Amino acid sequence: MPLALRDLQAEMAAYLVSGDDADILGSIVSNAIDAPARLRIHRHQLYESLATALAGTFSTVQQLVGDAFFRAMARAFIAQTLPAQPVLSEYGEGFPAFVDTYEPARGLPYLADVARLDWALNVAFHSPMGERLTAADLSSIPGEQLPSTKVGVAPGTCVIHSTYPLDRIWSASQPGTSIATVDLGERGICLLVLRRPDDASFVALTEAEAVFVASLAIGASLEDAALAPFANDAGFDLSVTFRRLLDLGVFVALQQ
Amino acid sequence: MTPVAGIGLRAPHLAAVVRDRPETAFLEIHAENYLTPSPAFDAVEQLRADYAFSIHAVGLSLGSTEGLDDAHLRRIAALVDRLRPTLVSDHLAWSISRGRYLNDLLPLPYTEEGIDVVVRNVNRLQDALGRRVAVENPSCYFSFAHATLSEPAFLSEVVRRSGCGLLLDANNLFITAQNLKLDPRAWLDGLPADAVMEYHLAGHAVNDADGEPILIDDHASRVSAPVWALFGELVERFGPRPTLVEWDADIPPLEILLGEAASADRLVAEREAGAARAA
Repeated sequence: MPLALRDLQAEMAAYLVSGDDADILGSIVSNAIDAPARLRIHRHQLYESLATALAGTFSTVQQLVGDAFFRAMARAFIAQTLPAQPVLSEYGEGFPAFVDTYEPARGLPYLADVARLDWALNVAFHSPMGERLTAADLSSIPGEQLPSTKVGVAPGTCVIHSTYPLDRIWSASQPGTSIATVDLGERGICLLVLRRPDDASFVALTEAEAVFVASLAIGASLEDAALAPFANDAGFDLSVTFRRLLDLGVFVALQQ
Repeated sequence: MTPVAGIGLRAPHLAAVVRDRPETAFLEIHAENYLTPSPAFDAVEQLRADYAFSIHAVGLSLGSTEGLDDAHLRRIAALVDRLRPTLVSDHLAWSISRGRYLNDLLPLPYTEEGIDVVVRNVNRLQDALGRRVAVENPSCYFSFAHATLSEPAFLSEVVRRSGCGLLLDANNLFITAQNLKLDPRAWLDGLPADAVMEYHLAGHAVNDADGEPILIDDHASRVSAPVWALFGELVERFGPRPTLVEWDADIPPLEILLGEAASADRLVAEREAGAARAA
């Protein structure tokens, strides 16, 4: 009695992931090439194509550890977490946490943070550009309304905190870089990741700036967001920060 | 003769195509790469003014017993609505089981049960898009012991019941025929000619499995001589159709890809001229 198609698909999927002996082998015509060798083609495709997709998304991690190490790590992740849907730019959200627990990467404690940065860049890259807030837009708001105005942070914008000098590690891993070594004892950093017209990129923020952006992102008014950073930085300069973020294109245009 | 051959638009060529606007009958994109916003999507939207598009999906999983994923179908429909392509296609294959996506085009057992599943999914897709779609023959590395139908008989029945079209991939047919020891020309007998909407061409690799050669569909090289010959056979039997040259790994300079498309156009023109002389 042949398997019902639903069961056949479930068994084949399980076999392709695990490679363990299964009833599915009996459903396949072997002749000159046996069933495991035939299914190995699909098993290889599953792992290698998904590892390639992860290498595209986590390109900095791959640069840092090399292709062989990356693929071994990716295959271990794939074995436990397959995509839930076919858009591969949305696959790998759990990879940074996996990297954190991946025993062979234990000697690279910053690697999971690099993976978080890669993921944030990927999310920003796949976020809509839309219109951004300009200084001219702001000047159209009457002064007395400015404190209560809420400015939205552009989709895909994200702040990453790391206890490692993540920006220096990232730069050192780029092809053609001249940075030979990074002192991991350097101060940690906050990075603001955002979508730009032709790519996704990041800039370093101070802690106070990061607090300001985070407040706006959760819907605080300009006045409330401006007060928040003073809790940990009495020297916070609102006008300098705001101008810088405006020039970076961090805010979405005001709703008409 | 109007050119019929188009190229797959892949990331390494995107900037050059936007800048140089090379002549080609159409541009093909993989749907799943353009379901989220990105600079690449913005570029494709710009190109839409100058090129016809073919949207080729790889992840609908038309052969899954659990049916099409609602969210994915909605996103595909929105993309089709936005880009208004001349063709929409996916494969006679499955890639989703129990909500997990395997990122491979897995073969179906060719049975009555399989036909029911594919027809149900194709109907749902065509209803969601409000248009006819083309279903592509896959590359097969094995067959199922309990299959009761041949692949072309299965495809023909899917066409008959759903009203969908066929996308005939000459490379996939060559691979399947070699791997399963079938006659590719006999495979073509009895296919409904008026359902054929598009052809695909690509390169393949020859690997070793247990000391036996097995052909692998890797889209990583030029179209091979026997696949060109089979393509000629398709054109003679079914007439010229939009023809895509696919190249998805070890992607060459754009000129080489365009050269392969020009070769396809030349072959079609020669066959057409030959047919006109014979008539």
